[in-house]
Amino acid sequence: MKPAPFDYVRCANVPEAIAALSGDEGAKVIAGGQSLVPLMAMRLARPTLLVDVNDVGLDGITVERDVIRIGACTRHRRLERDPVIARVAPLLQEAAGLIGYPAIRTRGTIGGSLVHADPVAELPTVLVAAGGFVVVRSGAGTRVIAAVDLFTGFLDTTLEHDEIVEDVLLPVAGTRHGSSFCEWSPREGDFATAGVALAIERDDDGRCVALGAAACGLASVPLDCSTLLAAVLGETSASGALLRQIARVMRADLAGDPDRADLVGLLAARAVHRAFARSDERSAAAA
Amino acid sequence: MIGERTERREDARLTSGRGRYLADHDVPGLAHVAILRSTSAHAVIRGIDVSGATALPGVIAVVTQADLDRAGARPMTHRLPLLGVLPLEWGLLARDRARFVGEPIAAVVAATRSIAEDAMELIVIDEEQLPAVVDPFVALAPGAPLLYSEWGTNEFFRMTSLPPVLGDVLATAPYVKQFRLTDHRIAALPLEGHGVQAAPDPATGTLHVYASNQQPHQLRTVIAETCGLDEQSVRVVAPDMGGGFGNKQHFTREECLTAMLALITGRPVRWIQDRTEGLISSIHSREQVHDVTVGYDDSGKVLAYRVDVTANVGNPILYFSGIGPAIVTVGALEGGYDFGVVGFDLRCVATNTCPIGAYRGFGQPQAHFSSERTLDAIAVDLGLDPIDVRRRNLLPDGPRPWITGGGARIDVGPLGPHLDALVTEFGYGRWRDLQSEARADGRLVGIGVSALVQGTAPTQYGVAGRFGSYESAAVAVLPDGRVTVAVGTKSQGQGHETTLAQVAADVFGVGVDRVTVTDGDTAQLPYGMGTWGSRTAVMAGGAVLRAATQLREKMDRIAAGMQTASAEPPTFSEIAEEAWWQTHRLPADEEPGLQQTVVYTPGNTMPVPDEHGHMNFDETFAAHMTAVAVEVDPETGDVRVLDAVLVSDCGVVINPMVVEGQHQGGFAQGLGAVLFEEVRYDDDGQPLTSTLVDYTIPEAPDVPRLRVVQRETPSAVAGGFRGVGEASIIATPAVIAGAVADALAPLGVEITSTRLHAHYLRRAIRAAGYTPDASAFASR
Repeated sequence: MKPAPFDYVRCANVPEAIAALSGDEGAKVIAGGQSLVPLMAMRLARPTLLVDVNDVGLDGITVERDVIRIGACTRHRRLERDPVIARVAPLLQEAAGLIGYPAIRTRGTIGGSLVHADPVAELPTVLVAAGGFVVVRSGAGTRVIAAVDLFTGFLDTTLEHDEIVEDVLLPVAGTRHGSSFCEWSPREGDFATAGVALAIERDDDGRCVALGAAACGLASVPLDCSTLLAAVLGETSASGALLRQIARVMRADLAGDPDRADLVGLLAARAVHRAFARSDERSAAAA
Repeated sequence: MIGERTERREDARLTSGRGRYLADHDVPGLAHVAILRSTSAHAVIRGIDVSGATALPGVIAVVTQADLDRAGARPMTHRLPLLGVLPLEWGLLARDRARFVGEPIAAVVAATRSIAEDAMELIVIDEEQLPAVVDPFVALAPGAPLLYSEWGTNEFFRMTSLPPVLGDVLATAPYVKQFRLTDHRIAALPLEGHGVQAAPDPATGTLHVYASNQQPHQLRTVIAETCGLDEQSVRVVAPDMGGGFGNKQHFTREECLTAMLALITGRPVRWIQDRTEGLISSIHSREQVHDVTVGYDDSGKVLAYRVDVTANVGNPILYFSGIGPAIVTVGALEGGYDFGVVGFDLRCVATNTCPIGAYRGFGQPQAHFSSERTLDAIAVDLGLDPIDVRRRNLLPDGPRPWITGGGARIDVGPLGPHLDALVTEFGYGRWRDLQSEARADGRLVGIGVSALVQGTAPTQYGVAGRFGSYESAAVAVLPDGRVTVAVGTKSQGQGHETTLAQVAADVFGVGVDRVTVTDGDTAQLPYGMGTWGSRTAVMAGGAVLRAATQLREKMDRIAAGMQTASAEPPTFSEIAEEAWWQTHRLPADEEPGLQQTVVYTPGNTMPVPDEHGHMNFDETFAAHMTAVAVEVDPETGDVRVLDAVLVSDCGVVINPMVVEGQHQGGFAQGLGAVLFEEVRYDDDGQPLTSTLVDYTIPEAPDVPRLRVVQRETPSAVAGGFRGVGEASIIATPAVIAGAVADALAPLGVEITSTRLHAHYLRRAIRAAGYTPDASAFASR
């Protein structure tokens, strides 16, 4: 379990890293290395050059009116513990705390998790549910990719070889926002067998006016479930009838492994229940 | 002292990074080994081209079986002294056929492991794929692919014991049930995998081997045989070990191969198993199917019990192979019960999978799973309490030893009081009340019970040829009054440096800190049996006790003749000085010095039939009663243990804390076996669980505390000890299954398999027609 031979360069800034990537078709960016290194040890990944971006200055969190901008090298542990994230992106905060174990979260980065594009990972699911974006840079400049356009398949994205994720953009949660990430795995810290990320916004009357949801574990990419959960729109509470309907609809309409579809339905019901409860708490705190 | 909760003296070293495990023995010039393994489950190897690998800079040697043949390596065999086992020998590497994914084909010796793995990729194997067989029933069917065509069958071994009266009793029994029970395949997975380091000594012509192995003396024998060396030319040292669990009990191809590589290259070499090698190629365990027929009366008493055992032994190229544990299974079918007439038909079936072999429990968990599922089924059928059904079937409280029909001499204390203690300590009645309340609430709470009588400190002559029932200990009192103890057993983390020191300290009446225990070095003692089979307290403990007692008596004689300045009797150290340095003053018939080597056997076992046709495989027996309460989440299939109690009678307890640790560890493994772990293959024999992402073991949050209640019925062997190491891993799968079955009974789900993993339970619950309640689930 030793990696195949590879070269390594530690870059001081983004242009350097892009240049290094451009110069070697087998190059791969490394930040936290929590997914890449095990794959290399098993020789399932065989990069010829590792481009280390830990020093290029891509970590940090800034809130810009209704958008939160998170540097690609920001560690999961920071997302989990940062009070700003807890306030403006509670779904991201909860999901970050569900990734692996503290040691993994201390090293792993948001950008790394997104471009690794593991279909059972938490953060890609959050990006789809929240309708977020990634800002990527190459020698040709920057472009912004919407979550639904980023993931194309198992461990596969629309990123070009010489593109580096610089930032992740997520909407700032409203005053009546409620969210929940519910997943099931055989053991704490495992990759989820199935999971649901869900965020709602409510109006002053408590009616759900916006909803974003995605599920992991069912397909080779995080699955946008917002349409399947449309019944939640306009509701003022998570009634038992609503929750049962959600589970039934999702179990019936989701393709793939019926066991996982069953779990996703149940987890979606739980996510809706918790999102309403948290929205109630947030509204009460704001009042 | 015996009976005290002495803190484990080895832990200061083992928990602070100062332990020295196999990989911590660097020597100058050390080369590293990587082993190329078959990626095909079944293939003819036409040729192996190693030229590319040999040419890679840093590569020292690339070795195939042809090279080993030229270097004089000899074949291995299973050493089973049984009639009817089909003949089987194998090389240290596959010669012309690979029979499971992971079978070693070639070895690379290089300056680093990385280079060795680079070189491995350059080896080209010309092979022809053959159809593979994974399922033992498929393997037994006509026309199945044959692993060994010369056998004409995949049935490696069959053993039948069906008393003629069995059929009659079954035919006349008031009630008869038939069902199939399945034990799934798991892996022992010691935290530290296998490893071996071998270095030739040019000065003496000997071979110095470090091996992470539970039985260093027997490994020495096997390495000497396969390498064509004299036994005295090989020294094996088993250093600190991160677990063994039977997985390091066999003497493997890799251990002998690494020794041969040292001889071939003339330099020190080391092979460290990586986790994938560990999971796909280092011995799996447990896989059996039991077809049970049981006849019983309306009190729940079993009148006749027949179990047809189909044991998948994988490709059985392993010392004692999977036959060993399978034979123990059929010998342990009754456990601590009297089931009237008992019979079995055992078939051991070769398949294109990793060899099946030892894992803590060694065939007994399967036997116990079947006896407990059977008694639970009877209880359900007759509407009786499972505790009562066990009472009706337990061995009577006297006489002792209870001699079974086959000759086992069961020496446990009265079992009824143990069961009473379990009922009290667990709060059985209270749990039944809580269960009723939970059920009224729509929650699935279940209770499981198990009554285990386990043979401990066995002779395994019958299943392993050379595993006799004795142990060696050398005890000395040094001139400064310090005590040294060397034993032929090998601690893998069980705390022997503490418990065996307690035994010696108890005899000498000195503090434990005066005693140093060493093990695992063939240079210390001529021979030893190692640690397995819940034997160390009984066998090494007994040997230390004997040797120390003889020395203590000698010290008393010497002291009696000593003149001291004061009226005080001489101190321990003064007697030691006298024995070593004032030898002219010793009594005339007293030899100088204080050292004693003992080879001890309790003498109770008989591995071949005596004049009555009796055989007894265990020096002494232990009794363990277990109860658990669980709750099953019908939506997810999660099993949560609400309470777990084990009443333990392992005779005289040397260290209660160590016994609790043994039980807690076995509980974790038993729980893991049924809730999390499963070795899986696809139909073509490709392993699906080759990393710890797929082979899921329980982690700290998954393992609740097991409450241990200790009772002591001293045995008649030295010290009054009984074995304890395997009790809870045997009991746990059965008792968890009983509890899950009880929990799921209202849904009509039957539990006939050790597969209690959430995803299996979820499917079984859905298949029984249960509709998940999303609303209830959401608010949990």
